[in-house]
Amino acid sequence: MNRFDLLNKIQNILKDNLVICNIGLPSQELYKINDQPNFFYMLGSMGLSSSIGLGLSLSQNKHVISIDGDGSVLMNMNTLATIGNRAPSNYTLLVIDNGSYGSTGDQRTFTDENTSLKDVALGAGCKKVIECSGEETLNELSKAIEDKNNSYVIISKINSGNVKIDPIPLNPITIRDRFRKFIGIVKYL
Amino acid sequence: MKISKKIIDNLKKGGVDFYLSVPCKLLANIIDILEKDKEVYYSAVPREEEGMGICAGAYLGNKFPCIMMQNTGIGNSVNAIVSLLQLYQMPVVFLISYRGTPGEPVGAQGGMAKITEDILQTLRIPLLHCTSENDLEKISTFSKHAKVVESPVAILCDFNLMKDDK
Repeated sequence: MNRFDLLNKIQNILKDNLVICNIGLPSQELYKINDQPNFFYMLGSMGLSSSIGLGLSLSQNKHVISIDGDGSVLMNMNTLATIGNRAPSNYTLLVIDNGSYGSTGDQRTFTDENTSLKDVALGAGCKKVIECSGEETLNELSKAIEDKNNSYVIISKINSGNVKIDPIPLNPITIRDRFRKFIGIVKYL
Repeated sequence: MKISKKIIDNLKKGGVDFYLSVPCKLLANIIDILEKDKEVYYSAVPREEEGMGICAGAYLGNKFPCIMMQNTGIGNSVNAIVSLLQLYQMPVVFLISYRGTPGEPVGAQGGMAKITEDILQTLRIPLLHCTSENDLEKISTFSKHAKVVESPVAILCDFNLMKDDK
């Protein structure tokens, strides 16, 4: 299973929650599979999907899923400490860990060598840290959302590999405003 | 505490209700006040760039965020400011202790001080430079301005303004 297969498989859960999606291929694939107004596509700021989702979950009550990658978490690893100490129960970090920098040509990341993001997350203070296969991810994700007392970090171990895809045609303000309209903040659209 | 209180009062008057900080000695009193404040959200964060991301999320969730940091933190955050906050036009207040300005005892802070305003100007970030207590009154209007122009804005507070805030 690669990222595109996984994103396809978890569509039914994603469409009912607020989703912050990592820059590059993850967002492009998600857009291609089933574009929704409650998907916030990152067009820049690699590494910050986890952090944007955390801020969002602290600011309103709907459940937030941050879709991140192993390369991006490695770039902003301090975020796991913030999540371990501050994340509310309406927050789930889904790390799609394919051991490679998919958007830049599938160079290997350190999770393909010695680094375990599960161990890092546990050491950083995250209480509910699940490492699972791509096939198990849908089930783990729904359990995480049903649990109203804990935030979760789910590390989904999948294969690398990308599908051929175009950049997202939406402009940033469109992404921003339709997302905030879905939450109920923007009234003018 | 007088200066720190005034800063917080004016930020609140400007509508800011979500605060993060990466610590600075000059922000210690402000952090003390916010830790006890039940009206607004406050948390420390390990790194400024991450804080920019959290602020972006807070804005999406209808908060008006402020991140407090030393001017060195701007150096850590340039890409997040440009390709997240400015790209999506998100109002966020940067409250910056301006280390390396006159009165600063640590020589090494001078380097970032020399280029801080140049960086902010290059980024086209509206800037309020507070050098005296009277300037602090401008913080509330300036914060509201961030929402009007849908942009991050920066408030620089000089070393000498903050250092004697007993």
